[in-house]
Amino acid sequence: MEMETIRELQAYGYAFASVFFAGIFYAYVYYLYTSKKSGRKDYEKYANMALNDNLNDTPVEKIEPLQEEKQKRSNK
Amino acid sequence: MFHWLEKNPFFFAVAVFVVIAYAGIITILPDFMNSARPVVGTKPYTVLELAGRHVYIKDSCNACHSQLIRPFKSETDRYGMYSLSGEYAYDRPFLWGSKRTGPDLMRVGNYRTTDWHENHMLNPKSLVPGSIMPKYGHMFSNVADIETAYAEALTVKKVFNVPYDEIDMPKLGTFEESSKIVLAEAKMIVDDMKSPEVKAAFARGEIKEIVAIIAYMNSLK
Amino acid sequence: MQSSKIINYDYSVAKLFAIATIVFGIVGMVVGVWIAFQMAYPELNNLANEYGTFGRLRPLHTNIAIFGFILSGVWATWYYIGQRVLKVSMIESPFLMILGKIHFWLYLVGVVGVVVSLFMGITSSKEYAEFEWPIDIAIVVVWVIWGIGIFGLIGIRREKILYISVWYYIATFLGVAMLYLFNNMAVPTYFVTGFGDWWHSVSMYAGTNDAMVQWWYGHNAVAFIFTVPIIAMIYYFLPKESGQPIFSYKLSILSFWGLMFVYLWAGGHHLLYSTVPDWVQTMGSIFSIVLILPSWGSAINMLLTMKGEWQQLKDNPLIKFMVLASTFYMFSTIEGPIQAIKSVNALAHFTDWIPGHVHDGTLGWVGFMIIASLLHMAPRMFKREIYSKKLLESQFWIQTTGIVLYFSSMWIAGLTQGMMWRATDQYGNLAYSFIDTVNVLHPYYTIRGVGGLLYLIGFCMFAYNFYKTMTVGKEIEEEPHSTSPMAA
Repeated sequence: MEMETIRELQAYGYAFASVFFAGIFYAYVYYLYTSKKSGRKDYEKYANMALNDNLNDTPVEKIEPLQEEKQKRSNK
Repeated sequence: MFHWLEKNPFFFAVAVFVVIAYAGIITILPDFMNSARPVVGTKPYTVLELAGRHVYIKDSCNACHSQLIRPFKSETDRYGMYSLSGEYAYDRPFLWGSKRTGPDLMRVGNYRTTDWHENHMLNPKSLVPGSIMPKYGHMFSNVADIETAYAEALTVKKVFNVPYDEIDMPKLGTFEESSKIVLAEAKMIVDDMKSPEVKAAFARGEIKEIVAIIAYMNSLK
Repeated sequence: MQSSKIINYDYSVAKLFAIATIVFGIVGMVVGVWIAFQMAYPELNNLANEYGTFGRLRPLHTNIAIFGFILSGVWATWYYIGQRVLKVSMIESPFLMILGKIHFWLYLVGVVGVVVSLFMGITSSKEYAEFEWPIDIAIVVVWVIWGIGIFGLIGIRREKILYISVWYYIATFLGVAMLYLFNNMAVPTYFVTGFGDWWHSVSMYAGTNDAMVQWWYGHNAVAFIFTVPIIAMIYYFLPKESGQPIFSYKLSILSFWGLMFVYLWAGGHHLLYSTVPDWVQTMGSIFSIVLILPSWGSAINMLLTMKGEWQQLKDNPLIKFMVLASTFYMFSTIEGPIQAIKSVNALAHFTDWIPGHVHDGTLGWVGFMIIASLLHMAPRMFKREIYSKKLLESQFWIQTTGIVLYFSSMWIAGLTQGMMWRATDQYGNLAYSFIDTVNVLHPYYTIRGVGGLLYLIGFCMFAYNFYKTMTVGKEIEEEPHSTSPMAA
């Protein structure tokens, strides 16, 4: 392929990627900030991970031993 | 979306890697071949010059001196023609530096002589009153490592096809052949020097660091 | 899980790294102050033959400060924060425990190798990547061990979600690994030819390419050692010490991914007006400006975390250190992009403004953050009160004065030098010879040296305070939840 063609493809690729990533980014911002209102998820609770960090404190989201998780899934 | 990643360390790591690797691929790869092409007339360093370059690196001269002339009138007036990419084609590593505590040395060979360097390395203040450069007396007693320089030249010839031994290019040959060339080259510099210490050592077949670094300085044009 | 009442977090590795941080901090800063005075008083160069010259010592200063002081600090905090936010103790896994110790001791061996080889002048000359290949390999091994440590601990965690700090530690691990490997690609000459020193190698890249790879590395080594893991620290220690949850968890997600994406593009700003392709330069310039957003995103998140709690700034010196650190972070992340604008760079590049900028970040942001982190950890690691609040207060002001002297003198020096290099007389000839531009800087070099010295003095006060805390601080029974206890 000619160097010119490669350059041209690069330029198109770059323009597309810029728009694409900017789109994703703003969509994600929108998604995050409407999450709590729509009841999907309250992200801010995760901030407590730093504050309640003793070994005995209850995890914000406990990791479940594999078997329990499997059972849960089969129950569904 | 991304939140899912925060529960899955493996995919999180993969995602981070993709995001950070992206920029490097886009900015470094496309012009790689172009940037590696030498300007017509650029020659690889001779073994003695390479040994001098090693001295330059050993004492981190690049911590205070740049080898990059930017395309401004104030720089071309002071240091000469601005740098071209192809002029660096045989520089491994590049020695552009990031700080000019002292002046640029890209074309120092055009306006300084063996004699000047000899005096300047011994005592910079004797030539440039007010200079804050250290004295480099130890270059007059340390012996230059010609063998390692030869090893490097041979390595780049074998691995990167640097055109040693080709027409109009520096000759490398075997280590014995190369040593003879190095001695002949060094003799021209030693003849221009005054230090009896360096001359006596050369008579014994020893090449001091100062000889090598002057050869390197003189080659920078 | 039933047995979790009797086990505790294990800080033995964190303690080792904390002490290493302090020792390397002092060594790195002593060398730094020394070479700063060498620039003002060049006679200081020739006191130890070839081993005492600026050229030999400068790589020692940068490498001990970055890979000795800062990296130890990063690891000390990782072995502390990692356990806590994942809610798992290292004691639960003998494997990780041993690995952590191997990590520390092997790293120490590596540092000794670095110091010896740099003194001997064995260097590849690439800034912050000066080590020859045998040490590079050792570093890779240390790095892999740390990586296994990170993911091993994550593997046995109780908390499902990785906290913000953990993201940043993972990014540090991956980023540095990638950059370091590519930038240090070299061919050992002895093994190809059978001649010369066995440790010597030659770079895989030549000239302009070498420069591009080097500054892709050089700039982002800054990103992934001066910025990313330090953000990891502040995201944990500021909320914990102040008892306030982070202002916005969502903002932290956005700034994280923003920073990861944008930072790596900005390396080109080290090569403006050089022989690298124009579009790479322009890209470097633009992305450096864009970088303000994710950087300030984190910094503002920090400052807003203190919302309504600003009285703590008065009462708690650790909060003072952290708030000033994030302020300096904002300051250097606006100064950097300004320097990356092409026309500004034409003036600033190669001058003392650049080291000035680096030190705003390292002394103000990184240094203060590490100091605050270690002091927050001390009462919890040693079960003792911090030895002296008064000492800490005076340390804060001495060091802050030091930083101000440092960057203000380097601003003036850099701009003066840049302007004099380009100044012309009425006929268009250069107005100054190079040596004129050197001589005029003497007072600023002296002020910079004094600034550095003040910072060093402050750091020694910190070391003393830490040592006293460790040995004679008043014992405490229960681990404090937020504010670290300290004796007046």
